[in-house]
Amino acid sequence: MADSTLLNLVLWLPVLGIGAITLLPRGRDSLVRGLSLAVMLAQLALTAILYLHFDPSVSGLQFATSQPWIREWGIEYRIGLDGINVLLVALTAFLGPLVVAGAFSAIQKDVKLFYAMVFFIQFAMLGTFLAQDLFLFYVFWEAMLIPMFLIIGIWGGERRIYATLKFVLYTAFGSILMLAAVIYLVYSLHQRTGIASFAFADLYGSGLPLQTQMWLLAAFGLSFAIKVPIVPLHTWLPDAHVEAPTAGSVILAGVLLKMGTYGFMKLGFPLFPDATRAFTPVLMTLAVISIVYGACLALVQNDIKKIIAYSSISHLGYVMLGLVSLDLVGIQGAIIQMVSHGLVAGGLFLMVGMIYERCHTRDLAAYGGLAKLLPVFSVFFTVLTLASIGLPTTSGFTGEFMALLGAFNAAWPLHEAGYNLPLALAVIAVSGVVLGALYMLRLAQQLLFGKARAPHQPFADLDTRERAILVAIVVAVFAIGLYPEEPLRKTELAAREYQQIVMGAQVDQESLP
Amino acid sequence: MNWHDVLTAMLPEHILLAGMVLLLCLEIASGKDRDGFFVALLAVAAAAVAACALFAQGYAGSPFPGHFSVGPMTSLPKAALLALTLPVLLISRDDFAESRYYVLLLSSLYGACLLTSSDSFLTLFLGIELMSLPVYVLVLLAFLRPESTEAALKYLVLGGAATATLLMGASLLYGASGSLGIIAFTDALSSSQPLATGGAVLVVAALLLKAAIVPFHAWAPDAYEGASVPVTAYMATVIKAGVLLAALRLFGTTEIAGPMVGVLAVLPLVSMAWGNLTAMRQTSFRRMIAYSSIAHAGYLYYAFLGAGPGRYEAIVFYLVVYGVMNLLAFVALPRSVDDARQDHIDALKGLFHRQPVAAVVIAAAMLSLAGIPPLPGFAAKFLIFRNVLAAGYTAYAVLGLVASYLGIYFYLRVVQYMFMSAEEPTAVRGRPRRLALIATLLCLVPAILLSFFPGWLLDRL
Repeated sequence: MADSTLLNLVLWLPVLGIGAITLLPRGRDSLVRGLSLAVMLAQLALTAILYLHFDPSVSGLQFATSQPWIREWGIEYRIGLDGINVLLVALTAFLGPLVVAGAFSAIQKDVKLFYAMVFFIQFAMLGTFLAQDLFLFYVFWEAMLIPMFLIIGIWGGERRIYATLKFVLYTAFGSILMLAAVIYLVYSLHQRTGIASFAFADLYGSGLPLQTQMWLLAAFGLSFAIKVPIVPLHTWLPDAHVEAPTAGSVILAGVLLKMGTYGFMKLGFPLFPDATRAFTPVLMTLAVISIVYGACLALVQNDIKKIIAYSSISHLGYVMLGLVSLDLVGIQGAIIQMVSHGLVAGGLFLMVGMIYERCHTRDLAAYGGLAKLLPVFSVFFTVLTLASIGLPTTSGFTGEFMALLGAFNAAWPLHEAGYNLPLALAVIAVSGVVLGALYMLRLAQQLLFGKARAPHQPFADLDTRERAILVAIVVAVFAIGLYPEEPLRKTELAAREYQQIVMGAQVDQESLP
Repeated sequence: MNWHDVLTAMLPEHILLAGMVLLLCLEIASGKDRDGFFVALLAVAAAAVAACALFAQGYAGSPFPGHFSVGPMTSLPKAALLALTLPVLLISRDDFAESRYYVLLLSSLYGACLLTSSDSFLTLFLGIELMSLPVYVLVLLAFLRPESTEAALKYLVLGGAATATLLMGASLLYGASGSLGIIAFTDALSSSQPLATGGAVLVVAALLLKAAIVPFHAWAPDAYEGASVPVTAYMATVIKAGVLLAALRLFGTTEIAGPMVGVLAVLPLVSMAWGNLTAMRQTSFRRMIAYSSIAHAGYLYYAFLGAGPGRYEAIVFYLVVYGVMNLLAFVALPRSVDDARQDHIDALKGLFHRQPVAAVVIAAAMLSLAGIPPLPGFAAKFLIFRNVLAAGYTAYAVLGLVASYLGIYFYLRVVQYMFMSAEEPTAVRGRPRRLALIATLLCLVPAILLSFFPGWLLDRL
């Protein structure tokens, strides 16, 4: 099977990258950078081939590998692409070279270790998306902590130790309860059917009693909700984002936060469909609170990175809203919104990094009129700002619009039946769009317009490397905004299946509250 | 008595004995302190190979019926104990050149091997005592600082108390059952006779004390800190493993029921929480490892809550992983001008810039002890908690996992010191010694294999 080899190669290429740069002699930093970029580009090229060959009309896994790993416990090395993870894998592979290239000038200390850690986290993130075995998923999920701990802790800002410990301890707490739930889930499957398996496919449709499902979903959900993050579990995020180096912020915002929503979509909701429907009002409320509260916080920040960090909380609220709407449009919107946010927030963090390298401050009040000082920078910044607001023709519009549409689609029949909470929540969620425009325009206005001032002048506008990075992101943003059919086609079948699993599982209506 | 059986079954023990005799003869013959390193290394390596060979052949026999028996399920733990001693020996040479150190170490190891095969309280007691007694001396032998005396004395007194408790328990069990066989212990667990129950409780208490379970843990931090690096490494891995294997031998596959569940659930749980919480405040590396080992002893005793058949697998796998990763940290530890400074956790600050390999290796060891995948400590912990959960103790499993979460911080702190702190100005820049490098490699290979292929070992358990 040449196909599965290709997917394995994509997954393991970062490990080869670690090996290669470890072998390079000390002090050859530019060689390390070049090699890292080459490996990431190779990975992107291979992923592009996989993406093009991904057949959206086939249900289930493609390019799958399944090898016994710990035979005795029924654990397999089982990876594969499906409609849910294909876009996220593509996003991860796409951001990889940009992260590497973006750090060329910013990272001057322990260069080898830095790129080794970037490869490590790339490996762990891809593994988390591709894993189709719960044990394997958990291993990758937890393994992400190690490189992120070091990336924030070594190359971060002043309060980096505090921020990185907070990040790790927060996320590890969620994971430890998830581990208990994983063990319980697999054990109960074994009890009922005699199958000792960690495969997602075997665990779906578990048919556990509602009470048990609720406990297990709470344990899984806590872990995922911390990662998303959903208010009120978000307090680690601003610290981690602000203190992380640019590359760390881009990885965090670009891919890591999607782990949480992906976890809900791939595991949390389909594994415990009855509990999901029982919890829908709670989940929806939390999603809307995240949207509005994140936006409000973003509105009053003076640190540029914090504004984007809080905006992430708000944007991921739409993803959650789309997922729990259980409406096909909403689910697909959620997937698009994940990718879109990865591109836009990743791009914005890269741009903040570029300006920070020049001016050494992230204080919004120190800047003004950059449109005159840095015209090229300003053009890109405006485009990404508009994409973040969700202007039509950008990816942000497609994602948010579809997620909100899904929420309304789901809420309307309930409203006609006399149950108004979902509709009210959907209406409130729309206000997040307005707030989004407010805080992003405030940021852009302060930064780009008004009297021209910035510390550490004079400085040069963006160089070729920086322009190339941003062009790649902007092209992707418009590609999704203008031709959403393509990614939607890839995900449609998987979204439908997700919807069916979560909605269609057998339930006796009496047991629902 | 079949002499052929005696010879084959006890081959690892015989090799150790031969090594000891040879060391003593050489010392007497030469009339001065001799370097016993090579003889000891050879003896332990040969004994480990012998144990492996016995395991590979699936040899089973009982040369002293009712007292001592050998089977695949004793040969493998024995081989593991012997193999774990090899890195300890490799890092011993700088601190101890004289052959009495090696004689003591080998006799302690002999005791550990003996108890893994014991069938009666007689052999078990002999094994435990032979394992512990030389260590009291070993703690004192380096005499790196004045505290060593206090440490050795504390260890001796509390070890003696454990011995007395064990003897008392064994004699009560003998009184109740009229048999010295360890089967008397499992019978006593389900017995309602006060004599038998009292005996069982005393035996368990002795085992908890030897493994440093709260509230019997207070000796461990002092003993670990007062000893030298190789002796602490030996105590934390081989001695701890020996005690747990003795407990495994006693409990066998008997399901725990009744009030014993409370003892074997609550005390280990408190150990995990207390060990992990207290470790956060330590400034001495060895003291921190002592508290960490108290927590790990808690995880290990938790395994007895699980169903009988899975217990052996869970405990031996955990012991091997824990031993390898703990040793990995000890062998990679950088040297300093004196022991107190080397032991201080500040000595690790900025280690990545001085000795990148050592820093990465110690970080891997710490993260494995914290139970973070993909390192093997995770699979080991997973196995134990899976068994506990499968036995129906859901609440204890969740509480145990939360207690293990408490440990993450202090392991991360070590990583933080090595990678994120500025270097101590007094730090000694030096290349690691060759023997330490070999020892690192010796631990690194199984560590990597266990990370990627834990199934390989699990299939053999």
